[in-house]
Amino acid sequence: MTSTIVSVRNLRKQFGRMEILHGLDFDIPPGRIYGLVGHNGAGKTTTLNAMLGLTSYEGSVQVLGEDPYRHRARLMKDVAFISDVASLPRFLKVRELFQMLSDIHPNFSAEKAVGFLEGTDVRLGAVIGNLSKGMLAQLHLAVVLAIDAKLLVLDEPTLGLDITYRKRFYRRLLEDYMTEDRTLLITTHQVDEIEFMLSDIMFIRDGALILHMPMDQVAERFAQLVVAPDQSATAMALKPVFAETRFGQTVMVFDGANRDALQALGQVTTPTLSDLFVALMSRDTGVSK
Amino acid sequence: MPSFNETQPIFVQIRERIAAMILTESAKEGEPLPSVRSIAADLSVNPLTVTKAYDSLVALGVVESRRGVGMYVAEGGREKLLAHERDTFMSEEWPRIRTQIRALGLSLETLLKEDSK
Repeated sequence: MTSTIVSVRNLRKQFGRMEILHGLDFDIPPGRIYGLVGHNGAGKTTTLNAMLGLTSYEGSVQVLGEDPYRHRARLMKDVAFISDVASLPRFLKVRELFQMLSDIHPNFSAEKAVGFLEGTDVRLGAVIGNLSKGMLAQLHLAVVLAIDAKLLVLDEPTLGLDITYRKRFYRRLLEDYMTEDRTLLITTHQVDEIEFMLSDIMFIRDGALILHMPMDQVAERFAQLVVAPDQSATAMALKPVFAETRFGQTVMVFDGANRDALQALGQVTTPTLSDLFVALMSRDTGVSK
Repeated sequence: MPSFNETQPIFVQIRERIAAMILTESAKEGEPLPSVRSIAADLSVNPLTVTKAYDSLVALGVVESRRGVGMYVAEGGREKLLAHERDTFMSEEWPRIRTQIRALGLSLETLLKEDSK
């Protein structure tokens, strides 16, 4: 019925007299994998909290057609999330946790959760407080995957996990969660790891969205140029949004430049998300380095 | 995991790997191809990217999408793919290679001698 999963208009948030979100506008359609990227303190978690009904705000937020702050309980049937600070009850055994969730959550399947734990080191009889960080992440993922959710929000889901766990984590998401009517929203600092998983990207800086577009448009709009030795001045005249010299080699990032024109000046590629992030975050700040 | 190169879109690179499976007959006509989901999970890419790769092969009649079942190599698909790849080679790659051969002044005899080694 609702074709848009999340719809945000003029979202503002103040802590005391400090405004930390300055009027965000965005829509998230179903079937997409969204990446939300920004520095610490840029407003990522506050934005997610507003969507999850965990904080008050000004402006309008609709998640699956509901106001998350007023109808949080209803919404949580169809929304699941993992946040870095979310904690599972440490004193329960895994089996007891699943029982408790079956009792309180209408869309949770203990049977599915047990299935998702197969092949991991997490035992049903283990006390949650005794699990390692990696095992906790696996348990947490098993819990959210066992909820038949339309929207899954992951706030730094793999923080502190080693590379093997991270790979397995994302593999599980693609295998067991994603379908064309489900939506995934991820924030992470390890953006290169999920770059090819994303369908859309949002960059947030100082409480404002500075980039929001499908990934295939990123490749059309932005170009990275490794400048040939004698072409630096010509390339500079095309107004790159970012330029940096490392080991005598100059790398520039362009927004909306003609690729054919750039080809003549050096080697042209599409910047990785982390290169693009660095480029756009250092633009127009007025702060000298 | 084999990685991607930076010069081509990911869906093109995935399409080429599927095409290679068909050309080398590691998937024969009428046989199933890996599901969108399993390729997405194996390569950590968005399922829509894999779908885009398959769509281009479905449009050529090389791959058949059976609703609710999955992707299969179409009957006569390998021939169609081969014809298409030959056309692409002749129109896009050969002119570039030919120019290079001329620029290097390589004679036909030299090239053939190298080939029969």
